[in-house]
This record gives sequence, C-alpha cells and structure tokens, in this order.
Amino acid sequence: MPGMDNQTSHLHFAGIDIGSTMSKAAVVDAEGRMLAYVVGQTGAEHRLRANKLMEDTLHKAGLPLSDIAYIISTGYGRVNVPFADKQVTELTCHAKGVAALFPEVKTAIDIGGQDAKVLKIRNGRLVDFLTNDKCAAGTGRFLEVAAETLGLELNEMGRISLQTDTPVKINSLCTIFAQQEIISRLSEGQPLPDILAGVYIAIATRVVKLARQLKVEAPVVFTGGVAKNAGMVKAMETVLGLPLLVPEEPLITGCLGAAILARDEAFKLVQHGEYQAQRDKKLTEARIDFGEKSR
Amino acid sequence: MSAYYLGIDIGSVGGKAIIIDDSRKIVALSVVPSGTNYSTTAAGLKEDVLNKAGLKLADIKDSSSTGTGGRNAKTDSYHGVIVCNARGVNLLFPSARTIVDIGGQGSQLIDIDENGQVINFNISEICATGSARLLQLVARILQLNIEDLGSLSLKSTHPSSFSTSCTVFLETEVITRIAQGDKPEDIVAGIHRSIADKISALARGVSIRPEVAVIGGGALDIGLVRSIEEKLGQKVLVPQNPRIIAALGAALIARNLSR
Repeated sequence: MPGMDNQTSHLHFAGIDIGSTMSKAAVVDAEGRMLAYVVGQTGAEHRLRANKLMEDTLHKAGLPLSDIAYIISTGYGRVNVPFADKQVTELTCHAKGVAALFPEVKTAIDIGGQDAKVLKIRNGRLVDFLTNDKCAAGTGRFLEVAAETLGLELNEMGRISLQTDTPVKINSLCTIFAQQEIISRLSEGQPLPDILAGVYIAIATRVVKLARQLKVEAPVVFTGGVAKNAGMVKAMETVLGLPLLVPEEPLITGCLGAAILARDEAFKLVQHGEYQAQRDKKLTEARIDFGEKSR
Repeated sequence: MSAYYLGIDIGSVGGKAIIIDDSRKIVALSVVPSGTNYSTTAAGLKEDVLNKAGLKLADIKDSSSTGTGGRNAKTDSYHGVIVCNARGVNLLFPSARTIVDIGGQGSQLIDIDENGQVINFNISEICATGSARLLQLVARILQLNIEDLGSLSLKSTHPSSFSTSCTVFLETEVITRIAQGDKPEDIVAGIHRSIADKISALARGVSIRPEVAVIGGGALDIGLVRSIEEKLGQKVLVPQNPRIIAALGAALIARNLSR
C-alpha cells in the first residue's frame, strides 16, 4: 500500500456526499474497505445535515471523530460541510466509488434526484463524462412528478410496472407535458402498469440517448437513487440492450469514492511529511462545529 | 342581409369561438376552458357564440376550426394555428410583420408579409419552457391570481435571477428564492425575463421585424409583455383580446373560402 506505514495503518477516512435530494456518508479503513455508511434526506439545512450524518456514520462504525484522519466532501452541497478537509467534484468521487465496487467498470450511469450523469471509466479513472441538469426529463424528478400525479409511492410504482411487458408509449419529451399525457392515458382507460412501464421507458430513453453520445461499453454500472427502482433497472436494460450492474446500495458510490480519495490524499500528505499539522488543525475545527450545531 | 362566418380554436388551455360578418366585423365571441372532451367543448362554444350573436346555425355561411382540439369541432374546414394567427393579426394590425404567440403549452414566432401570408415560423412545443404554463405554476406557488402577475411584476426593482430554464426545476428555484427572502414582485419579474429570454431564443431562423404583435394568453400579462419589449428592444402591439386571434383567423379563412 503506497504511503502506508505504522503511522497510518490504524487511521480511518470519511467521505460525505450532500446531494440535491439525499445525503450520504461513508467511512473506510486504511485498506479502503468500507466500515459503515448512512443515507438520509438532504433537507434545507445542509450544514446541520452534514454534521448529523457524520455523527451517525461514526456511531455506526464505532469510531470517535478523532480517529478520522481526513474527510472529503462532494455533491451539490459540498461547500456546506464545514469539517471537510477538501472538496472534490462528484464526478471524480463517483468514478472512484464505482470502480472500487466494480473494478472492471467501463461505463457508469447515475440518475439522481435532479440530474443524470454518464461516466466513462478506464482502470478506475474517469476519462470522459456527460451530464444533464438542465431538463427534469431524464432525472429522478420526472419519476417524482409521475408518482405525485398518480398518487403512488416511488417503490410501489416500480413494483406495479413490473407486472406488464406492454408499456404505453409516452410521447412528450417534457416532464410537464408528460404529466398531462399520463392523465390522458389514464382517462383513456389504459392499465396502470402499462402507463408506469411507459414512464420508465420514457426516462430510460432520455438517459440512454445521453449515454450514447459517449460510447456505451460493458460492463455498465447503474447507480443513483433512481437505480433503486426495479422498474427503472428493467427499463434501462431494455432500452440499452445490455445487462446492468447495480450496487447493493446505489446511493453511496459518491461518498465511498470521496472516502477512498480522502485516504489517498492523506497518504500523499504523509509522504510529503505534511500530514500531522493538517490533521490537528482540522480536527479542532470539526469538534467545535459538532459541539455547537448538533448537540 | 349579411352573411356570417364562424371560427373555433380549441387550444390546450382555452376554447374560443368567434362570429364575424361579411365586412369582417366581430359580431360575437366566447371563451371557455378547453376541458377534457373537445367535442363537447366545441358544441358548447358554438351554441354560446350563436346565442350571443342572436343567430342560428343556419345563418352561418361557412365555418373553420384550428388548434390542438379543433378537429373535434365539426366545422366546414380545419386550418393550422400558425396560418390562423397570421390572418387574425393581419386584420387587426396590418403593419405587424412578426407575431409572438405565447400559449399555454408552447410559444411561436411567426414572420408574415403585408397580406398576412406566413413567411417563416419557429415553434417551441417539445418543452414547457417559454410557454404561459410557467405563469400558472408561479401564480400557484405565490398564491396569486394569474391576472395579477403583470401589475405586480412592474413594481419589481431587483428581478430575481434563475439558473435554469426548465419549468420543473424553476418551480423548485422559485421556492428557494422565497426561502431566501426575494420579494414576490422580484420573483415574478425574474420569471417574466426567463420566458422572454426563451422566446427570443426562438428567433433563430426567424427574423424579428417591426412591428411585433404579441398574442396568446401570455399577452394578457403586462409584465411579460414589458419583458419581451425589453428583450426585443422595441415596443410591441397587443390586441385587446389576445386569446381569440387564432379563432378570428379561422373565421376570416372561412369567409375567404366561401367567397
């Protein structure tokens, strides 16, 4: 292990990902193995959320904060993590996390609450990417709007959609117009499973179109909150024509990658002999923040 | 005795009917929500506008329909909404050369000549951005009547800026701006600018030549009209009843066809 010696082998590292909808944190050991993770709603108070999330994750891992040598924050709310040593973009963290779980990965598709990303990964490194955060169609937001329109829970929607192999075609490219289209399909008397399956195919079509702008190469890993939905996984596989690898917890690749990068970063500092000072400084700040805000 | 002509426009939001006489004067008009059954809506509109005009169906020499649901109206002919808008605007504003139509589901930019013939057009209908739909959403979030948005927006001194043009994401951003303490008038003014930006982006391929007429439900919003004027750098013409222009155009086409 590069940079490892007696000084670092007992250390732990954390990554925290404040997303638009969900926040996630993970702790890894000096070998990069994940010890614990916690997932929660982001809510309006990013800073409070970040503190609470870190606290819960440490509790789950059975570690005091003083055992965490380095913390990297990522995601849309990454600037609101006062105790982080460094901020890294979600694309880098995400690629790292996906490659940690699936070392062979060549393409990663992530559909989050408000965006979609396609990453090309070679030997664990991000080589190319495309994102959509301009249009709600092709993001988790589309599903939320559909669920709201139909008065269903998101996971319920996925289950019901799996009952059919004859999805209704949703022609609208815009979430707003699709919402009206769903209502007209219902009033035409189309079966609910067919409509839901059609909604998933519509989103999958948008995301796959984005993905095909880069060349989609297997193995393909599917992550993000939307990957938890069985109906969506099926629709993506259908439209893409490829099987997908889905992590057990598809939300945590970003924070896992951040934790692993935190480990790499700390080892680099150790090698340059700059580690000790940095650590003392950061931990003091973090403690003050924890004390004030979440206790 | 004069001959009468009927035009019906069933749009995504509103259904409109108009009766004109041989001298192209408006005799009666009716505007109702489009509803979900366009055939019923069209039948009701016909009855209402005939009643208002004091006429019977037999008095109508020719009829035309237009709009999303216009084919359900059982008229003598059906015409595209772009052509109808062009004819309607040409009658009211012979000097107009560009039409901006802001409808409930999409916007259009239409170039016309001095005879009301369409030269070129560009439509945005794959996406709710730039349509009057956003105004409905904003009115709902701010708990205002859609008719009050315009005068409110004119009071704005610091229009809010928005990072997205997607209607769905804008809804979220409006809520964020409220949480940040932006005033309702600034939020509405910011939304007006956002729509005006989107509409002017339609100008790719269509030139904007004076004079510009703004029609459709969005033209009822004075704040939005001002934002469009600002964006285009010129005054625009707005008909007294901007929602009925396509129906008027349909009636004019019916008159032409029967002569």
